[in-house]
Amino acid sequence: MLMLPELIIVATGFILLVLDLFLTEKQRDLLVPLALAGIAAALGALWLTPDHGVLLGGRFAMDPLAWWFKLTFLIAAFVTVMLTSGLLESAAPEPRKLHSPGEFLTILLFNLTGMLLLASTRDLITLYVALELATIPLFLLAAWRRDALGGEAGLKYMVIGALASALMLYGFGVLYGVTGTMRLDAMPALLHADRTTLYAAALIVAGVGFKLTLVPFHMWAPEVYQGAPPPVTAWLSVASKAAGLSVLMLVLFRVFRPFLHDVSFAIAVLATVTMTIGNLVAIVQRNILRFMAFSAISQAGYLLLGFLAGGSVGAAAMVFYLLVYAVTNLSVFAVIILHNQQTGSTELTDYRGLSQLNPLLALALMFGLFGLGGIPPLAGFVGKFLLFSVAAQAGYHWLVGVAAVNSTVSLYYYLRLVRQMYIEAPAEGAVPLKPGWMLSAGLAVTTAASMLLGVVPTVYESVRASAAAWLQSLGQ
Amino acid sequence: MDTSIAQNWLQFHSLSSFPLLTLLCAMPLGFALLALAIPDEQTSAHKAWSFVGSLVTLAVALVVLGGFDRNAVGLQQVDDYAWIPSFGARWTLGVDGLSLPLVMLTAFLMPIIFAGAWSAIDKRWKEFSIAMLILETGMLGSLLAVDLLSFYVFWEIMLVPMYLIVGIWGGKDRIYATVKFFIYTMFGSLLMLVAILWLYQKSGGSFALAQLAALNLSDKEQTWLFAAFALAFLIKVPVFPFHTWLPDAHTEAPTPGSVVLAGVMLKLGTYGLLRFAIPLFPSAMGTFSPLLMTLAVIGIIFGALMAYVQTDVKRLVAYSSVSHLGFVMLGIVIFNEESLQGAVLQGVNHGISTGALFLLVGYLYERRHTREISEFGGIAAKMPVYAAFFVFVTMSSIALPLTNGFVGEFLIFAGSFKEGVQAVIAPVAEAGRWRNTVLVGGGIASLGVVLGAVYMLSMVRRVFFGQITNPANKALHDLDWREKTIMAILACFILWIGVYPSSWLNLSKTTVHAMVLAHRPAILQVRAPLDYKHEAIQHEHADR
Repeated sequence: MLMLPELIIVATGFILLVLDLFLTEKQRDLLVPLALAGIAAALGALWLTPDHGVLLGGRFAMDPLAWWFKLTFLIAAFVTVMLTSGLLESAAPEPRKLHSPGEFLTILLFNLTGMLLLASTRDLITLYVALELATIPLFLLAAWRRDALGGEAGLKYMVIGALASALMLYGFGVLYGVTGTMRLDAMPALLHADRTTLYAAALIVAGVGFKLTLVPFHMWAPEVYQGAPPPVTAWLSVASKAAGLSVLMLVLFRVFRPFLHDVSFAIAVLATVTMTIGNLVAIVQRNILRFMAFSAISQAGYLLLGFLAGGSVGAAAMVFYLLVYAVTNLSVFAVIILHNQQTGSTELTDYRGLSQLNPLLALALMFGLFGLGGIPPLAGFVGKFLLFSVAAQAGYHWLVGVAAVNSTVSLYYYLRLVRQMYIEAPAEGAVPLKPGWMLSAGLAVTTAASMLLGVVPTVYESVRASAAAWLQSLGQ
Repeated sequence: MDTSIAQNWLQFHSLSSFPLLTLLCAMPLGFALLALAIPDEQTSAHKAWSFVGSLVTLAVALVVLGGFDRNAVGLQQVDDYAWIPSFGARWTLGVDGLSLPLVMLTAFLMPIIFAGAWSAIDKRWKEFSIAMLILETGMLGSLLAVDLLSFYVFWEIMLVPMYLIVGIWGGKDRIYATVKFFIYTMFGSLLMLVAILWLYQKSGGSFALAQLAALNLSDKEQTWLFAAFALAFLIKVPVFPFHTWLPDAHTEAPTPGSVVLAGVMLKLGTYGLLRFAIPLFPSAMGTFSPLLMTLAVIGIIFGALMAYVQTDVKRLVAYSSVSHLGFVMLGIVIFNEESLQGAVLQGVNHGISTGALFLLVGYLYERRHTREISEFGGIAAKMPVYAAFFVFVTMSSIALPLTNGFVGEFLIFAGSFKEGVQAVIAPVAEAGRWRNTVLVGGGIASLGVVLGAVYMLSMVRRVFFGQITNPANKALHDLDWREKTIMAILACFILWIGVYPSSWLNLSKTTVHAMVLAHRPAILQVRAPLDYKHEAIQHEHADR
């Protein structure tokens, strides 16, 4: 029962894989609804899953926060498949069409399985295996279009991803060497505040840093974001980041929690550098995917603020912000995917006049961008506010100041896109985009969520309650 | 008696059984959402809808006014609900004598702005009316919110519509102007956010103004937090040297945008100082008084001089705002009853007069598509009604008696000379420097009144009188009925406040009295400790 969501996703993946063999090109259009049904079933199963319990001798465990991570992964996957549907269908226009929909969806689902497992792992081996499953399929997805950019993206991602895995594995090795146990929960008692512990922590944080696109481990992001098909970029920027955060929370809160306070300054510096570099470089981007890459980097910087205070407030702020970031970023990507699908362009200036051609799309994109920029009353503001208040609570007032200035900078570049859409006139001969119903539905749902999460407090309240319960389950 | 008044001014006086203030805030937003359903092409429908929306909002505001108790201390008709309970954020709206005049001004100006926009805005009406209505919600909310988080939310909501209004319907350099406006304002308000978070942590999890104002903060904390709050508000006012966004934004904005900027948004800066910065950090206000005084006086003179050398009428009016808001700032810094009454009233006056001036300039621009003073001359002969209104509003702007401007500026000067002159007539032993500063500052500021007359009248002369030299002006036609009606309404208000100001002053009297009782001691204690003792002794005598 505890593992039901994972099992449903794996089963759906295999069904799609096998079914794909027997279907004609035209019939393969059925695969998207099938995948959606599978994910929806997993969401339903997750709803019924109790939020604590253990399986497999304690290697797999549910806790209240893992539940929220799984929810984020599943929602992200569901929306991503909806957004991708227009590119996967047999009638999709070449050359942007994504071929072999069955394989694409299967790989996506396996990738999702890895992430779901990741949130529940409790020992080093399972953690590492799950992490690889949450990573390797992404290399394939990034290179799905076998053109020059896609190839470069896939290769670069793979090489750097392998390096990240190696660093992390090394860190795990050190941890095992020091403690002699694989179980994460047993480690804090066996670790001492010495250099070896710090060394292991640094290696693991560096490894996760690649996934979370923390500066200076962010180098791959712009190229991969640009070269991968836009729906994959959307998935990458949301789910992969969420997976990174779940590993980081697992490691920092479960294993290094007694020492978290000692390294908080290092975390503060990492956050400062990440948000500042991300924001400054985003200003000069002309390609919307690279632009979103740097925006995502800076968002990772804000997320880190949650680690500054060890308690449940920090964890709740991070999980809530992650959820908000996921829906907001997906709503932005919905428009980017559609625009790219129908115009083939990824230039910022090609969004000019969108508000006159597609008023609702432009409105949704504007809300999404302002949500990422943190303008009230959108959810992005509340999320950022909670994170800032965690930093303030931990005494890092200078960091709150830095983050505030960074937010101003980020608004400047989000406004660049708003300006193209609202102030510039449309290009001559530009035609309105025609969104499919599935993409429209995905966009509507994510946009509504990104507004309501900020105004209606229920979700934050329950995240907060979960975080409190989770902290108790840590038993420290 | 006095102490209870002082303690109560930020407390709730009366809770509202029906969420009237929430309704007032939400009304424009509701109309904006419904406007989404009207197709783009139906321009006249949008014009009518937004006008009706602003009228309905005005009606709700009048109900609020009707239920307002002028003699009560504290916040009235309060809506107080939990918003994010575990975070301590509340949804608290309330009205008192400080906010009510500005709420009424906002609600009253919006229908005027929409009516004035019928000819000024020539494209994309749907987006325009939605942006304007959301802006109104933001402004009303900022004036009503007394929970710092909800205040901040409303404060930021104002930015985006204004960005679009200047950016889409503005003049030639609109992009530069609107980005500059956005970045300046955003920077200030984010630093305020940092300060809000500090207070939140300090208080152990509350955003309620009354609770935060009761915190015991060290001098150093007060200084820094006041600086963060004040910066946000001073940028908005704008006070020299943070004013540079204003001439650009005002000039490039379309007429309705300029009216709303000058009419309401600038006042939110001074309102924020009075509502938040001073009650939260009174002794820091004392520390910063000389600096703020200097900046206000520089703003008055500098704004007037800059206005004098402008060749564009609209830019001239924009710089005149810098000068006029300097007077309001002066009234706030002095912080006695007369000067505060004057500052509150002058906020309303400036909204009406400068709003009217921007509308008038807009009328001319719609006819000639230029605002260069040298392009005009002698047009009073072609547009007699227009000229009459323009001269009348000019009189109000330069504070001629019987117009509203006179009352406001008079009160501010009365307050500042009361503060300063006592140094001469009733010298305190070793009197502090503060009173001399006030005396000198007030003296220099009064020069600003003269300069105001100089730049306004010389502009009026060059535009309206003499011979018509430019043939393009021969075809000018006078105001139509719509334009006349708008102007007539504004002129009535100018006269009303000018002739019978009590009806407006009474609104804010009790609140101002309470504010002075509550915060003046702390302010004086820092900026003029010796005077403070003196004043305290006098009070004791009076009590006996």
